Amino acid sequence: MTIPRRVLWSAALKGAAGLAFAFMLLPLALVIWLAFFRGEIIVFPPEGYSLHWFASIWEKRQFVDGFVTSLQVGLFAMVGGLVLGIPASFALARTVFRGQEALNTLLLLPLVVPGIVIGTSLYIYFVEVEIATELQMNASLPGLALAHIMITIPWVVKLIVANLLGVKREIEEAAMTLGANRWRTLTRVTLPLIRPGVVAAALFSFVVSFSNLEISLFLVGPGRLTLPIAIMQYLEWKLDPSIAAVSVVQIAIVAAGMLITDRFVRLSQVV
Amino acid sequence: MSAGALTSDATAARARRRFGAAGLITPATLLVVLILLLPLLLLFRYSLNRFEPGQFMVEALTVENYVNLVTDSYYRNVMLTTLWVAASCTLICIVAGFPAAYVLARARSRWKSILLLAVVLPLFVGNAVRAAGWMVLLGNRGVLNSSLTWLGVIEQPVQIMYTPLAVVIGITAVNLPFVVLTMQSVIESIDRALEEAALSLGAGPVRTFFKVTLPLAMPGVIAGTILSFILGMNAYATPVLLGGPQFQMMAPTVYKRIVEQANWPFGAALAFLLMAVTLILSTVSHLLVQRHYRRTMARAEPAH
Repeated sequence: MTIPRRVLWSAALKGAAGLAFAFMLLPLALVIWLAFFRGEIIVFPPEGYSLHWFASIWEKRQFVDGFVTSLQVGLFAMVGGLVLGIPASFALARTVFRGQEALNTLLLLPLVVPGIVIGTSLYIYFVEVEIATELQMNASLPGLALAHIMITIPWVVKLIVANLLGVKREIEEAAMTLGANRWRTLTRVTLPLIRPGVVAAALFSFVVSFSNLEISLFLVGPGRLTLPIAIMQYLEWKLDPSIAAVSVVQIAIVAAGMLITDRFVRLSQVV
Repeated sequence: MSAGALTSDATAARARRRFGAAGLITPATLLVVLILLLPLLLLFRYSLNRFEPGQFMVEALTVENYVNLVTDSYYRNVMLTTLWVAASCTLICIVAGFPAAYVLARARSRWKSILLLAVVLPLFVGNAVRAAGWMVLLGNRGVLNSSLTWLGVIEQPVQIMYTPLAVVIGITAVNLPFVVLTMQSVIESIDRALEEAALSLGAGPVRTFFKVTLPLAMPGVIAGTILSFILGMNAYATPVLLGGPQFQMMAPTVYKRIVEQANWPFGAALAFLLMAVTLILSTVSHLLVQRHYRRTMARAEPAH
């Protein structure tokens, strides 16, 4: 009996796909494995396993401080992104005005300009602002927060506009005809209908900010590091199970954000 | 009510709505202008200044920084390295990513969410963390060298870390999720009936794949290629961590010039070049994909 060629071809495709998936997940799996090694000197196979590297995270100030900074910046980015991005999305999806196309492109621009270029230009700009106003911008929370709010705007706009276009105008018009005013229609009808998009936009803004490296790189300073930068600086110097444990914490937070987002919107429509 | 009153009422409503729209979109626009556009303009202006060692930056209007980028052999090498690394990673991403994108696009709902998460998760776990994973595998006493030594294949560890190979592996892994997602969204929209028709008309599965599926998926392949190339050119963490201090690509060089050496004019020129190439490639990608769709549509139209 010969196996049909269609089955063979399908198996070959699936095998190749499996290799690609393994290639994407392998580095994460290896980092997670390393976090449980007992000894500080890395040898394969390990001498034994232990959880003590997770406890040791608390002794390394730069990671705790970095985590707190990343959390603060992430929350600012999330709230700021929603506060600025949701009204802008209403203007783009619910009204028609001249120059709309250009403004849409402008709001999506932070996604197109490379992070390293945004970081470079902001660093120079903030130095000039510091000279002009004597406010500290570089290596400060406000500087980081402003930059991170800016990079969340395209994500919020993309998600909310897509959501708004899916809401039928007739439902809102029906509410108005039945006597609800604009504000009531907005809060009782439209916002509940786009809630999945709002939740996804909030989580995504947080994750985009929390994992940003290239822009933060220029805006951090001694005593004001974000978690990805603290990880990066440590890795330039050495690799050990303690940094793997810190990485596992980051992976867990991002994974939780993704899993919750996935419950509200289809991830394939977001990215 | 006269027709005139009606129009003026409608005009007033339209005007109100327009001001409403302006009020809604202005704050976000202002932030992007102040925190993105103005800094970029400043960056461009500074790229035309002159760097004098010892006195930081001298006001000027010169293109010598841009000329230096091409004439100085050191920077030419940095750019050539960046280009060939980005190109090799892109090639591997497309070839390795297509089957994954195809399987993902054709997977049934439950499997599909699991596979999608498997692609999206690495995307948002920082590049530094993933570089750490590759260090575990590729280091001199890493998993690979330890296993090969234990098997007796090699006696001395093979140096992979801090070589271009390690950087290509790292950047490929970073870009692959983006490429897979880009191609899967196009493959998803290909009508399955077209493949079924080719198969039932006697084309083998391989022939169907290359003559039907692949041509229809070309917009995804084009978009994925350009996206991967852009990401590869702008890579920062992977070349620094896996390539080591000797390995020079454009993004780390920008950081060094600006922050470590305070050579703003030159760093600005390098950053601006990086952005210009990125924006041009994005636009080309957009136009190519659109043109491809228009052509396919035109061919699909019945003849009159």
